[in-house]
Amino acid sequence: MATTLEHQVKECIINRLGLDVTAEEVEDDAPLFGEGLGLDSIDALELVIAIGKQFEVSIGDDDMGIFQSVNRICEFIRIARPEL
Amino acid sequence: MDIQAIQERINQRYPFLLIDRVLEVEPFVRSVAYKNVTINEAFFAGHFPDNPVMPGVLIIESMSQAGAMMYPKAKNGYIAGIDKVKFLGLVRPGDQLVTEAVNIQKAGAFAKVQVTARVDGKDVARAQITYYMEFEEEKE
Repeated sequence: MATTLEHQVKECIINRLGLDVTAEEVEDDAPLFGEGLGLDSIDALELVIAIGKQFEVSIGDDDMGIFQSVNRICEFIRIARPEL
Repeated sequence: MDIQAIQERINQRYPFLLIDRVLEVEPFVRSVAYKNVTINEAFFAGHFPDNPVMPGVLIIESMSQAGAMMYPKAKNGYIAGIDKVKFLGLVRPGDQLVTEAVNIQKAGAFAKVQVTARVDGKDVARAQITYYMEFEEEKE
């Protein structure tokens, strides 16, 4: 069974930040920060590193808004890497 | 970069300015700086009597200041996170603590560096340090 990009992104976030949740528990459109997964601004930097490395994308200062949800991150990756 | 130039870049002052000279700066990529450690440091009086060892927290601070040199002058800069810290050797009076810092990622107000501190070419500490930098707000 092929894993979706959404699932890969969730695994990437969970592994990088050592979160105590499973990918299945994370909603595609749930907010990652604050009330959602409870991430903070330092976690965002970690995600720039982890997502950038795993999906070979460059996330600039103007792109930081993509960390609002898994959907937004996937949207960004699909535009940057249409082949994925 | 001498001590005057260092003080133009960061706000730390006596007794908390823990680098003496900057050897190399490649903006947003890499910086190398050192601190000369002497027996006159006040902390050696208590850390420890008859066994002077530079406290690990101050080695971290020295490495942090060395790494900050690769970024533009910020109004204020703070440590936001420290990861993967290892102290591999003791730093004593007479040692020259040389820190090499390499940028891992800068994103918005945050920047993360890999830092390695050496004495006589031997690693004495390693860490990853995340900074939070406040810049002057642009005036209209």
